[in-house]
Amino acid sequence: MAQVAPAGTSTDTMLRIDGVHKWLGHNHVLRGVDIEVRTGEIVCILGPSGSGKSTLLRCINHLDPVDGGVIEVNGERVGYQLHDGQLYEQSERRVAKARQHIGMVFQHFNLFGHMTALDNVTYGPVRILGRPRKEAVASARQLLAKVGLADKDDSYPSQLSGGQQQRVAIARALAMEPRLMMFDEPTSALDPELVGEVLQTMRQVAEEGMTMIVVTHEVGFAREVADRVVFMDQGRVLEDGPARKVLDDPQHERTASFLRRVH
Amino acid sequence: MPDITQSPLPTPTIPSHFIRRTGDEPPVQDAPIRAKRRPQYGQIVTGFVAIALLVLFIQSQAQNPNMEWSVTWEYMFNPVVLQGVGVTIQLAIFAMLISIVLAFGIALMIQSTNKVVSVIGRAYVWFFRGVPMLVQVLLWFNLAVLFPVILGQDTNTLISGFTAGLIALSLAESGYMAEIIRGGIISVPTGQTDAGVSLGLTRSQALARIVLPQSIRVIIPPTGNQFIGMLKATSLVSVIGGSDLLTRVQLIYGQNFKILPLLIVGVLWYLILVTIAGTGQHFLERRLNASQPGSRRSAKTTGTATTTNIRTIIGGALWRK
Repeated sequence: MAQVAPAGTSTDTMLRIDGVHKWLGHNHVLRGVDIEVRTGEIVCILGPSGSGKSTLLRCINHLDPVDGGVIEVNGERVGYQLHDGQLYEQSERRVAKARQHIGMVFQHFNLFGHMTALDNVTYGPVRILGRPRKEAVASARQLLAKVGLADKDDSYPSQLSGGQQQRVAIARALAMEPRLMMFDEPTSALDPELVGEVLQTMRQVAEEGMTMIVVTHEVGFAREVADRVVFMDQGRVLEDGPARKVLDDPQHERTASFLRRVH
Repeated sequence: MPDITQSPLPTPTIPSHFIRRTGDEPPVQDAPIRAKRRPQYGQIVTGFVAIALLVLFIQSQAQNPNMEWSVTWEYMFNPVVLQGVGVTIQLAIFAMLISIVLAFGIALMIQSTNKVVSVIGRAYVWFFRGVPMLVQVLLWFNLAVLFPVILGQDTNTLISGFTAGLIALSLAESGYMAEIIRGGIISVPTGQTDAGVSLGLTRSQALARIVLPQSIRVIIPPTGNQFIGMLKATSLVSVIGGSDLLTRVQLIYGQNFKILPLLIVGVLWYLILVTIAGTGQHFLERRLNASQPGSRRSAKTTGTATTTNIRTIIGGALWRK
């Protein structure tokens, strides 16, 4: 019997998505997606709604199970283990542990409504990583200062604007010291005037060398910050290449027409 | 008055009904024209009619010799009646507490991904919400027919009218409370679970630590209503001699045949209890609204201290932080 190949293909591969399929009911949402992201790389995923971008992110940290294919983060499979050529879903506890190293920022922020901004940021480090509270509070304050919300640590999410909430959400994800940060349309639910402050925060995170996957409609951000742009349509990767090349000289008519409409 | 013709801006066309005519001017120059609501004649008339009818009714009943108010006042604070009031309060509070504990378990069972467990939870609600409370009271009281001996004890001595009533009320109520708690859990957006799970919580940890604490504010108001219902439902226990308020009132009029005056004693006491519970509910809900994180009152006026207080009292007592 063929033994399992060593997980990571090369040491600097942070994320490997290999032939991932996903059905939602009768809907074939992901039809064999292959993407590789190297450590420190910033990849923007563009595509029309319903193209499977968000589902792909949810599959990466196993919020949604896949129906086939392999996803590895930092050389470790997320949510599954391989036995005799078949993938078996792991226990909740092991999946939860694997997710600790993958930060996720949601379209609708999803800050914990019953906690202050500071508690939102310290919750993971204290309750999940078991860090001493004092230490966690100190670094949470630093993170909040970094996202420009040093004075908001006592505010509840409902007292913050959308942009502020999203910046706290970014701080909450960073507090877990993730290896990979995923952003699921982080500015789509924001008033236009608040988009800039969130993109600015993301730019800052990018400059610190974080590996990032960003599902977005902000072509400007992709052009400026992304190393690579992936264009998805109908559950497939249509285009994958250096940001400027994909955005300025798309190979597919589908990509070109999408970019014309988004601009 | 500034001269409009000198204005560098073109004069806007003002609809004619908007122009102030002489005589319309308010007493103070440039003060806004005041607008008064139309008088509510209907309300004034119904108010007078209602008061008149109420006075007539009270007057006629006060003078109705069959009401025997003196008997009512005589028994209002009779120790036997007061003990009954005590039993009624105890029954209501204990049955409510037991039912809330049971209901949390049942609600979690129904929400479980384990389909067998979920169906068992649903069946529980179906039965205990479906069978009338009165029938459940009778069923538990007559348990001895099915099981004459429980735990080496005679069932009839083990299960008194009070215990049978307490068990029946708790179980019946837990069916309703389970649905209320489940509604509270569902009211919390799924994104909260997603966020908790993304940080590295398991799904059940996310439910207990993130979703349940946020569902409390949805659960509390209907629970107040259920408690008021429970205060009244305790009277069902009278059919098995549960020694509650109604049982004792019946006991007394069984001996002196002053049926109506004693029933009025019951009516008054139930109204007093319900009024107290209703007032408590009112203040609890007001406090809850005020402490809502983000409500304008909470942060600025009442201060975050209250917010944290309620949160720790309600959340902290049930789930360790």
